[in-house]
Amino acid sequence: MNKHVLEFKNVWKTYHMGDGLVNALSGLDLTLDEGSFTAVMGPSGSGKSTFLHVAGILDTPTMGLFRINGEETINLSMKEQARLRRNEIGFIFQRFNLLSQLTSLENVMLPMIGKDLEKVKEVLDKMGLEDKYHKRPTQLSGGELQRVAIARALVNDPSIILADEPTGELDTANANSIMQILQDLNRNNGVSIVVVTHNPASASFADEIVHMSDGKIVQKDSK
Amino acid sequence: MDLYKLSFNNIKRRKLRSSLTMLGIIIGAAMLMVLLGVTAGLTTAVKDETNSYMYDIAITPASGTGSYLMDNQTASQIRNQSNLYDFREVTLFSEDINGTELYVEGINNWKDVKLTNGTQGVVINKVAVEELGYGIGNKIEVNGQELTVTGITKEAQAPYVYVNQSIARQMADDKVSAIYASTTGDPETVADEVEKQVTGVSAVTKSEKVSEIQEMTGQALLFMGIIASIALIVGIISVINTMLISVMERTKELGVLKAIGFTNWEIKGSILFESGLLGFLGGFIGVILGVIGIVIIANLLDLAEYIPGMMPLWLILGVIVGSTLLSIIAGLYPAMRASKLNVVEALRNE
Repeated sequence: MNKHVLEFKNVWKTYHMGDGLVNALSGLDLTLDEGSFTAVMGPSGSGKSTFLHVAGILDTPTMGLFRINGEETINLSMKEQARLRRNEIGFIFQRFNLLSQLTSLENVMLPMIGKDLEKVKEVLDKMGLEDKYHKRPTQLSGGELQRVAIARALVNDPSIILADEPTGELDTANANSIMQILQDLNRNNGVSIVVVTHNPASASFADEIVHMSDGKIVQKDSK
Repeated sequence: MDLYKLSFNNIKRRKLRSSLTMLGIIIGAAMLMVLLGVTAGLTTAVKDETNSYMYDIAITPASGTGSYLMDNQTASQIRNQSNLYDFREVTLFSEDINGTELYVEGINNWKDVKLTNGTQGVVINKVAVEELGYGIGNKIEVNGQELTVTGITKEAQAPYVYVNQSIARQMADDKVSAIYASTTGDPETVADEVEKQVTGVSAVTKSEKVSEIQEMTGQALLFMGIIASIALIVGIISVINTMLISVMERTKELGVLKAIGFTNWEIKGSILFESGLLGFLGGFIGVILGVIGIVIIANLLDLAEYIPGMMPLWLILGVIVGSTLLSIIAGLYPAMRASKLNVVEALRNE
């Protein structure tokens, strides 16, 4: 039996908005196996981002069961949640979210446990950034920025990478290159990957495409 | 790269703001250093003066007698007290010179009078030069006796002429202002006995005098400390402001740090480290400027010999450690705000 990397069982997330309540997740059920590559698609307001935030332990469900690598997160302390985020999860953001004052090396090393410079260089080399170690974000192109962000997400050998519109700010060539890197990581290193995207071309790199609407999974397509 | 290096980086990155924040601390720390340092130096100077002038006991005419001079008979009575020895007397009186009071003081030890010009014998101070127009070689008539000025000193705030004690006493009709002596027993007990046995005199012990003076200088030190501390606190308040703005500006960055696994404590620690660093650097630079200020002021006040006493280690360390600790305290609220940031909202922040 495959080990589950993410498990959502009847997960609800409700927000207060004005005088009313809004359900961003409405009884979401989804299980992702270790080593899977999943794209999450859906229109704006369908709950994709909330799904990713709960999956990344950045937000807690209002109701329901959520587990990452079999560990239920709801009762974890803030410190334990931070530990899980650092050890088990690699985040990739649409706008890269690199620290502008730091070089590529420093950005990748920032969350690293054990501060191993050789490993940082190895990860950057894998991303084709061997000549960009000492460049700051302002000196890099969009594609390079996202590759530094992927290197940062990979540096602690996470079991899962959560990517929020990772190609949203890139041209087609760079978008395909980034998705190819994610696909290679999944195929060659066994890293589980979840990509939230609007772009069908980016989603096509995944093994499974999950469609969301109104906070629920409405369709699943597997290759 | 860790969060502490990142904090250092943040200070460097926002040079102008960091400098202005530190400027407040620098001014406060420098003021604290100068005011407390100079006051501490003056305290030492005053103590030295009191120590060199006083013996175990000082006997002066009692305030009720209406005179500030003791006649020879009273002085002899004091000298005959069996529990007193090692006497030193001083005569101090004033003479009206064309409507200006000129003080005449008897000197036992000319080492106490620092000459700027001329020689010992009949020494006037600068005030006498300025107010009465005297100079070396001029003649001064005091109580029918003519004195020829031999030297000039800077000391005293009023016009003074210093002569040998024997001459001063002779000019004051064989009277003295105070007799200093050592005691064979407890100075307090001896002082009481002298007051009982010799009428019209007041006897105070050195410890009473010194403690009075110490109390006064201690109060001055406290007062100066309070004023300078207010300046430092104003500087520290700007740390709260700067760190709050920094946290607001870096909302997204802090959200990213949390998202990539930094704990709330680590975030808090980095903010506190940053504010502490501002305080430390401000305090350090303030101490350097304070030391320069002390040297300038001490030279202006002609107290250069007390410069080492004006910058004691406790003051230097106290100012640096104090401004660092106060800045860390100032960083507590911004640090709490930073650690309580909602990650999702912080990541949405632009």
